[in-house]
Parts: sequence; structure tokens; C-alpha cells
Amino acid sequence: MKISDTVVGAGFVAAGALIIAGTLNYPSLDAGHPGPSLFPRLLGGLMAIFGGLVGLKGLRTGDTTEEVEWLLLHKSTGFINAMFVLVGVAAYILLVEKLGFLLTGALLLFVIMWRLNVTPVKALIVAVVFNTIVHFLFYKIMRVPLPMGILWW
Amino acid sequence: MIDHIWTALVMLSSWKLILTIAICSVYGLFVGAVPGLTATMAAALLVPFTFFMDPLPALVAIVTMEAMAIFAGDIPAALVRIPGTPSSAAYTDDSYELTKQGKAELVLGVDVITSAIGGLMGAVVLMTSAPLLAEVALKFTSFEYFWLAALGLSATVMIASTDPLKAGLALFVGLFFSCVGLDITLGYPRFTFGSTELLNGVDFIPAMIGLFGVSEILRNMGSSHLQYPITAVKAEKIFSGVAKTLWKYKANMVRAGGIGVFIGILPGAGADIAAWIAYAASKRFSKEPELFGKGAIEPIVDAGTANNACLAGDWVPALVFGIPGDSITAIVIGVLFMKGLRPGPMIFEQQPELIYAVYISFIIANILMVPFGYLAIKVSGKLLKVPRNILMPAILMFCIVGSFAINNSFFDVGLMLAMGILGYFFENNGIPVAPIVLGMVLGPIIEQNFMVSMIKSGWDLTQFFTRPTAAILAVLTILTWVAPFLPAIMRRLRGGNAPA
Repeated sequence: MKISDTVVGAGFVAAGALIIAGTLNYPSLDAGHPGPSLFPRLLGGLMAIFGGLVGLKGLRTGDTTEEVEWLLLHKSTGFINAMFVLVGVAAYILLVEKLGFLLTGALLLFVIMWRLNVTPVKALIVAVVFNTIVHFLFYKIMRVPLPMGILWW
Repeated sequence: MIDHIWTALVMLSSWKLILTIAICSVYGLFVGAVPGLTATMAAALLVPFTFFMDPLPALVAIVTMEAMAIFAGDIPAALVRIPGTPSSAAYTDDSYELTKQGKAELVLGVDVITSAIGGLMGAVVLMTSAPLLAEVALKFTSFEYFWLAALGLSATVMIASTDPLKAGLALFVGLFFSCVGLDITLGYPRFTFGSTELLNGVDFIPAMIGLFGVSEILRNMGSSHLQYPITAVKAEKIFSGVAKTLWKYKANMVRAGGIGVFIGILPGAGADIAAWIAYAASKRFSKEPELFGKGAIEPIVDAGTANNACLAGDWVPALVFGIPGDSITAIVIGVLFMKGLRPGPMIFEQQPELIYAVYISFIIANILMVPFGYLAIKVSGKLLKVPRNILMPAILMFCIVGSFAINNSFFDVGLMLAMGILGYFFENNGIPVAPIVLGMVLGPIIEQNFMVSMIKSGWDLTQFFTRPTAAILAVLTILTWVAPFLPAIMRRLRGGNAPA
């Protein structure tokens, strides 16, 4: 997922500008000295300058986003697997309070392992056993209140 | 002093601590030896556990783990030509070439012994220099701390990276994260977007786990079926011929140890940089530089000593000033704060036993490295065959639960995920992740000390340059920025119109 340095640089220029814009309403100290806004504004400025330089350097060296790579992204196993993980964790956050850790955690492990070509039976066994160990370690020993959900323990 | 050493030794000899050391040794060796898992990631994943430990075992755990991991990174470098951690990258080609020549045992033997010796050299410097520097640091005021943090930021950008512009961008992102939450002058909420969770700022630990754990998992998703032929090694033979080799390069080891510790003490630059610089120095002074990269043992001796020597060096600024030497000590500072301890010169007076425990655990870890390293090499064949398609999901689970455990909050799990995506995107575009961490740790130090200095001097900027120590630090900071351009400036001054 390599993007052209020109685009990356432009992104940082925009981010720097947004940071500065975000500080416009900040209060100042007595006698008009800058307070909470000083540091973020300085940072926003530096970020924009460095972003601009990265962008210019990208333009000069002709560093471009590889179009072919972008078009083939939906065929790249690594990228799809990474998306699987992202969506999986997001789903975990949404579901875990309702379903509980034991179920949601095992489900997440199973789905990702299955996606990574572990045989279903092996994936199921590893997911349940490993997740139970993690639960024991954090819930019983370290007393982290992992959500119980619909399971009673 | 003897009292403190004794107290530290008594604390270290409890069965719980011995068990901690043993478990963390194995953990470090495993993480180091499996390509794709880094020592920084291991440290970030250790933090949720240290949350439930006393400060002393927590520090001992991190010291032991990192020492073992940096050595173990050498194992896959020699056997499959993939460095286990970035710190072994400098001499991976030489290691693998020697393995192809049938000298894998010698390489691994040299790796383990130079790592141990380098680590011990680092420990000696830490023990002697840290208390002295702490005396000096007692006299530091906000002006000096401001410059120290500025020096750390500058070194991160200018020395610790190949692309200063991109490292700078990463640093600013980290500094920006440190701005989020209530500001220190007026308590005004900055960039919180109405979220109560963000009032206290971006939580360091979930951010760390995301940047170093989740992003690494995402990157490894493409290579879940990584298969490589593994050279079988006879572990019994690894120590034969090592003594002769090391004796031949004894001067190299002293030089490399010095380089390693120096890079370590320099805020912001870690073991990987130390290895590269030691490699370059080794080549520069070698009698046979033409062999470098084609299977020379000399750079392995040098860089292998330097990266482990660097580790203890990294703890010097972290303990004395609260300025991290590398990304692992940045995490250590986070752990200390979590425990209500403020790293800095006072800790040397208030909790000397803690400092001595760090010293002693560096010594213990580096002595244990020889037998533990031997065992790791013995099982290296199996270690390198760990199925990644089971390992990566398992680590992901630890990331999720670890992020949750700090504040028992799902917001933190979301934060971890967001940071994971950011780290993945950054690394894919050649933007290093480590400066983000240093920015997050140094941000509050630099802003707080600047604001305090300005308010107490009535906005008089000259005070930053007129105090003697502040002036020295200011000059060093400016030099860090100017140094890379000096050769060009000199040429222009001397020649006028030198060929482009």
C-alpha cells in the first residue's frame, strides 16, 4: 500500500493546517502571551513545512503511486488478510459486551486463523483453548473485568 | 551503597523474581528469534502484565526480555537470512554467507558471546555514569530540561533515521498526540472532540501496543505462509573456535562496546543504529574491508557487541533525566509513571534499590544469556518453524486484552486499532514509527519546561542561552541540526564553486 510521496506530503500539509485551524479559538494567557495554542500551532506549522518538503522531493524524483498496485489491491492476499483483522477487531469491540469475552474472543481467533488457511478443526481447537488460557490469565489471575456476556462464567 | 546493593540482591533472590527472570528470558528469546516480532513489540505487550507487578519486578522483566531478544535476533539472521529484530540487520548478510560456508556454529557462538560481553560492557557504563550524571541532573532547571528534550528530539530526527524529513513528520505526529487533553497552563481541553476519554490525553500503552503490535501483525498477514529452508546446527559445537576469534578482534570489541554505549546514551537512537554505526566503523578500520558483506566474521563481532552494549546505555538518559534512549526505554518511562514513579535524579536518592536492581538485572541477564542462548540455538530449528498463521492471531488477542486491561475500557481497544492502522500505513510509506513514541514521551517534557521557563522568566528568551549548562545543551542541539550540512558548507566556503 505505497502511496506517492507527493500525496503523503500534501496530506501532512493539510493535517498541519487543520491542527492550526483547530487552535484558533484557544484562550491566551494574561497580557496576551500565547498559552495552550503555542505548542500545537508550532507543530502544525512544522508538520506543514516538512510535509511540503516531502511532497516537493516526491515531485522532483517522480515518485508516484503505483496505479497497477492499487488496481491489484483487491487481489493481494496480504492486504485482504489485513482488512480481515481490522474488521474483526472492530466487530470484537462492538460485540464483546453482549456476547462476552469467551465467545467473542474465540470467534475472532477462529475466523482469522481460518482465513489464514488453518484447517477448521485445528483452528476451532486452538481458538477455544488459547482463548480460555488468556481468559484465565487476565480474568482470574490479574483480575481484569473482561465482559461475561451471555456465558455465566 | 553496599546496603542498597544488598537490599536489591535480597529482593532479586525471591522465588517470584527468579521465576520472572526465567519466564522473561524465554519470552525474549522467542520474540527475538521469530522474524517479524520485535523487542519493542515485546516490551509493549509486557506492559499490561507489569501493571499488576511491583515496580522492581516490572523493570527486571523488561531488562531481561530486551537483552535476550536483541541477541536472539541474530539466530534467524544466521540461519535463514532474515534478522529476528532490526538490531541484527546490519550483519545479516555476513552471518548468512558464513552459514553457507558451513560455519553457522562459529557465527552463533560469536553472536552469543559478543552479545553477553557487549551487554556487560553496557552495564558497567550504566553503573558508573548514571549516578554521576544524576548528581549533575540535580542542578538542572526547566531551562536545561527543555534543551535536553529538544536534543532528544533532534537526535531522533537527524541521527536515528535514514530520511530525516519523514522521521520529522512521525515525530510531529507523536508530539501532536501529546498535545491532546487538558493543557498544562490553563487546563484547557485540546483536540478532545468532546470525548471524556481524551481529556487525560492519548493513553500511551494502547497507542504503543497498536503502533508496534497491531501494525506488525497487519504487516505479517501477507507472509503467513513464509517457508524457508533452515540450516541445522550442532549446538554442542558453537563455542569451539570462539575464544580464538574474539581474542583476534579484542580491540574491535572495545571500540564497538564504546560506540554502542554512546549511541545508547544519546537520546532517541537505539540498538539498530548502534549496530549499523559499529559495522561502518569496523569496515573503516578493518585490514580486509573487501570481505565485508561476503561472509566476514569481523563485522559480526563489532555490531554484535555494539547492539547489546547499547541497551544499558539507553537506560542512562531514561533513569537520570526521564528522557528515553530508545523506544523500549520510552515504554519503561511509561511504566514508571504508571507506578507513580518519576524518572529523574531524585529516584537515585529516594529509591536507590530500584536503580541497583536494574544494574544487577543487566548483569544477571547477560550472564544467563550464555546458557539460555545455547538452549535457544539448540531448539532454533523448531523455533523458526512456529506456524505464523496461529502465532499472529494469538498475539492479536494479547494486544486486544492488554490494551483493555490498562483502564478496562473499550475506547482503548479502539485507540489501539487506530494506532495499528496508522503504524501500518506509515511503515508502508517509509515513515518510521519509533519517532512517534519518542514524540509522545518527550512532548509533555518539552512543552511543560518551555512554558514554566517562560512564565517564570517573564517571557525572556535569552535565559535559554545565558545559563551555562543550558547554553552547552543548546549548542549541542543546534549542532545536531547543522552537522549533516557542515561538509557542504565547508566545501562552499573553501572552494567557492566546487563541482556539483
